[in-house]
Amino acid sequence: MNPGIDLQGSFIQILTDFGLSAGAAKVLWLPLPMLLMLISATVGVLVTTWLERKISAAAQQRIGPEFAGPLGTLIPVADGLKLLVKEDIIPAKADPWLFTLGPTLVVVPVFLSYLIVPFGQNLLVTDLSIGIFLWIALSSIAPIGLLMSGYASNNKYALLGGLRAAAQSISYELPLALSVLAVVMMSNSLSTVDIVNQQAGYGILGWNVWRQPLGFLIFWIAALAECERLPFDLPEAEEELVAGYQTEYAGMKFALFYLGSYVNLVLSALLFAVLYLGGWSFPIPVEAIAAWLNISETTPWLQVVTGTLGIVMTVFKAYLLVFLAILLRWTVPRVRIDQLLDLGWKFLLPVSLVNLLLTAALKLAFPVAFGG
Amino acid sequence: MNIADGVQVVSFAVLALMMLGAALGVVLLNNIVYSAFLLGLVFISISGLYILLNAGFVAAAQVLIYVGAVNVLILFGIMLVNKRQPFAPVRSAWLSKVATAVVCLGIFALLGTMVLATPWQLSTEAIAGDGALVKIGLHFFSDFLLPFELASVLLLMALIGAIVLARREYLPDELEEETVLTLPERPRELTSSGSRSNP
Amino acid sequence: MDFATLAAQLNAGTILPEGIVITTLLVVLVGDLIVGRSSNRWTPYVAIAGLLGAIVALYYQWDLSDPISFLGSFNSDALSIVFRGIIALSAAVTVLMSIRYVEQSGTSLAEFIVILMTATVGGMFLAGADELVTIYVALETLSISSYLLTGYMKRDPRSNEAALKYLLIGAASSAIFLYGVSLLYGLSGGETRLSVITTNIAANNVDQSIGVVIALVFVIAGIAFKIAAVPFHQWTPDVYEGSPTPVVAFLSVGSKAAGFVLAVRLLVSAFPLVSEQWHFVLTALALLSMILGNVVALAQTSMKRLLAYSSIGQAGFVMIGLIIGTEAGYASMIFYLLVYLFMNLGGFACVILFSLRTGTDEISEYSGLYQKDPLLTLALSICLLSLGGIPPLAGFFGKLYLFWAGWQAGAYWLVLVGLMTSVVSIYYYIRVVKMMVVKEADEMSESVKNYPASDWNLEGMRPLQVSLIVTLVATSLAGILSNPLFALANGSVEKTPLLQSSLNTAQTALVDQSVATSSTPAPL
Repeated sequence: MNPGIDLQGSFIQILTDFGLSAGAAKVLWLPLPMLLMLISATVGVLVTTWLERKISAAAQQRIGPEFAGPLGTLIPVADGLKLLVKEDIIPAKADPWLFTLGPTLVVVPVFLSYLIVPFGQNLLVTDLSIGIFLWIALSSIAPIGLLMSGYASNNKYALLGGLRAAAQSISYELPLALSVLAVVMMSNSLSTVDIVNQQAGYGILGWNVWRQPLGFLIFWIAALAECERLPFDLPEAEEELVAGYQTEYAGMKFALFYLGSYVNLVLSALLFAVLYLGGWSFPIPVEAIAAWLNISETTPWLQVVTGTLGIVMTVFKAYLLVFLAILLRWTVPRVRIDQLLDLGWKFLLPVSLVNLLLTAALKLAFPVAFGG
Repeated sequence: MNIADGVQVVSFAVLALMMLGAALGVVLLNNIVYSAFLLGLVFISISGLYILLNAGFVAAAQVLIYVGAVNVLILFGIMLVNKRQPFAPVRSAWLSKVATAVVCLGIFALLGTMVLATPWQLSTEAIAGDGALVKIGLHFFSDFLLPFELASVLLLMALIGAIVLARREYLPDELEEETVLTLPERPRELTSSGSRSNP
Repeated sequence: MDFATLAAQLNAGTILPEGIVITTLLVVLVGDLIVGRSSNRWTPYVAIAGLLGAIVALYYQWDLSDPISFLGSFNSDALSIVFRGIIALSAAVTVLMSIRYVEQSGTSLAEFIVILMTATVGGMFLAGADELVTIYVALETLSISSYLLTGYMKRDPRSNEAALKYLLIGAASSAIFLYGVSLLYGLSGGETRLSVITTNIAANNVDQSIGVVIALVFVIAGIAFKIAAVPFHQWTPDVYEGSPTPVVAFLSVGSKAAGFVLAVRLLVSAFPLVSEQWHFVLTALALLSMILGNVVALAQTSMKRLLAYSSIGQAGFVMIGLIIGTEAGYASMIFYLLVYLFMNLGGFACVILFSLRTGTDEISEYSGLYQKDPLLTLALSICLLSLGGIPPLAGFFGKLYLFWAGWQAGAYWLVLVGLMTSVVSIYYYIRVVKMMVVKEADEMSESVKNYPASDWNLEGMRPLQVSLIVTLVATSLAGILSNPLFALANGSVEKTPLLQSSLNTAQTALVDQSVATSSTPAPL
């Protein structure tokens, strides 16, 4: 496999050339990708909110944000500034500690999950051997934060919203994990990089979406439910629950929820791209194009192009999915809570189990096509 | 001591303090909701210790199972039935508290001495590290096959039992033998047919 | 290791009986799911057929040449076969008794049977488990199903209370047990197979460590909870009183037998290095159980509580056989458990029948029952007298064998206390019998006055009658025609390599132990 660009290696190399010890160089390197990822995740959210407004407007034949910057692109910044300077209210009879801790607990695991999102062979914060399992484990912490903020608000709507959110999150965690497991079974590894590499080689034909037609549907439905996107936004269903667990929140704490939900959406889209749409790979393998043009794979400029293309492809695929999620929002009506739980437990869970068994059977029967 | 070792020592100290503090909070706090949340913190600290021990998979599984499932379930239970009723303070409750503390400290001292006095045999096998997952899988399907499969029976039965306990009760409408047999387990007001036999 | 070699090494045929039970359980579950409530007519009989099938399969495993299976996880030796048979048989009889009871309480029968059979599977695996993880999973399967069964009558607050108490105390004891077991794992340098643990501990030079003793104490706490030995018995009366009576019948026989076989296997094979200590602890437990169980039973007014305390006392008697650790000791323990199976289940069948007809468990309500229902009176009297040890019933011979073996081995104090507490127990058993038989017509209790005519044709009453008659016949005749049972008990001890190899060491330990009990307690 083409190693591609190794930024970490080069950075440490440069610093050690300057006379630093390898350990110190590593310590200097460590915060850089994390910081970069934090910033890009936040910028991703800004873009997503703008898209949300624009696409929603288009779906309803409106224009949407127009005056703040070209095409209204500065509107997310305005939003953010507004939330930042708003008064931070803690209700009189709320539990101040839990009330503050709740939103943090919702947001932090989501950002932590960006550790394992790859944009290229070496373009990720860390290639853990447990990879995708870390995401599943971390996303199971969020319900605690939701319950905490629901309870601490001392408001019945908030408590109900928190309980609903946690129930929904737990219920859809299972089909989500099972559909991921089917992919993992095919690639023999939990590492996200290995999962993408396993899909490489045949271009668009090798992507998991063809081998997991059931799995990717389940994954997408469950991911939408995990992000509390319409049609599964019951915890904040405003007709029933005012705004669910967010009812009492204002200012920066509300902004954390807001940020968390969009970061989670982008994260789910990115991981969908990694799991089913070949991650950073181009529909036609770059290696094949290079071979046709008689260019060596190790040519530096080609590596730069490949790396850039990888980032562009990952982000493009993810935003395609975000677009899909926004379209779904204006297409499907909200389900009722019992329908939601019925769908999760009585339909998605058995179907995803069948999908898992089917994948295992196919893997045994056709080891060539389903990862021997 | 190089940087990596230093980081390890510091993280261990932080995690251990966090775990002990949270565990004491679970036991000592009066508000049961706080106790439940702190229990989550205990679990997370334990998972941090697993990471320090190079067991990444176990750490993630710990978070997924204990924080994501067990703790959330406990919180659900507490929040759904959380009737805030003032309990009458038990007189001389401090006596039982002191007794408990003494017993707990005694057991702690005993176990602590035991841990320090025992010449533990360390396993000579190489640390699995990233290959742990594969090793666990191999064990599940070789020497731990029987408990692994038995656990599936256990889980099936736990599922059935949970549903039996949680579902709305089915009461058959007609039990024509009602006049002959009775059971204290079937309260009369719940039986639908009005026949009554023995007072 | 590829699949074929692995499959060959597993020697999976040894768990055929458990396989039969699990298959039956699934048939009952799925059948009930598909057919619906009308499946109540056949599911219990399918379950009984499965359990009896498992016993037949056990019979064919008697002469197994290679009992070790699943790479050391499971040991299907003769000891385990006898105990698995006891557990399966008690489950079969319990199913017979529970049909009418569960129907009458308005809960669903199929789930009850499924959970009961899962408990049976757990107990059967526990009987043969030869490795710590298997032991723990099997123990939890048994325990969790027992909690569920205890709380099965969920509209009855007493059942809820019983389930909650059982669950909390059980969870605590299982945690302690797990701690002890994990200490064993650590002391042996990461070994889970019982047979290897001892050699590893000895090889690692930790056998003098206090850790082994702490592991022993913790493990005994877990086991003593299962067999309800004093002072780990507090749950017993409340749980017995509150839970559905068929469940109590199973808990008092099947679950207890599983606890005993766990005790034998774990103590004998994993703790020979501290055998002096565990003999001392068990002696204390046995003495306390015999005395407290039988004395407190005197004061009970509820029949189920009476049987609860009596079962604590009986556990004390059985422990004598385990403590003396001779060939006759183990054999007498197995023989007594076999006999106890019939007489105790018979007693509970009578209690179920009486509470079905009158709706009460109070002892005073039994007065004058002889006038209305001679069969029930006869059966209950025989079972109670047998539990008390009146000749020529089965219980007498069981106790005789136990005490004889104890006397032979020199455990005089244990035997003397056993004899004295037996006399006490006869008093409270006879009190019930007297109340049923002697009272005149005008002294009848209200319930007996309103006693309905015996109608055995109601659905589910026939099986109850069958279980009553079977246990009655077995209790009456097992004493006189006890040769097959003797042969079974002796044979199982002879054919079990674990017990045979331990007999020598046990002999030496026995001397220490008898010295310890007769003079000063051994230093722990």
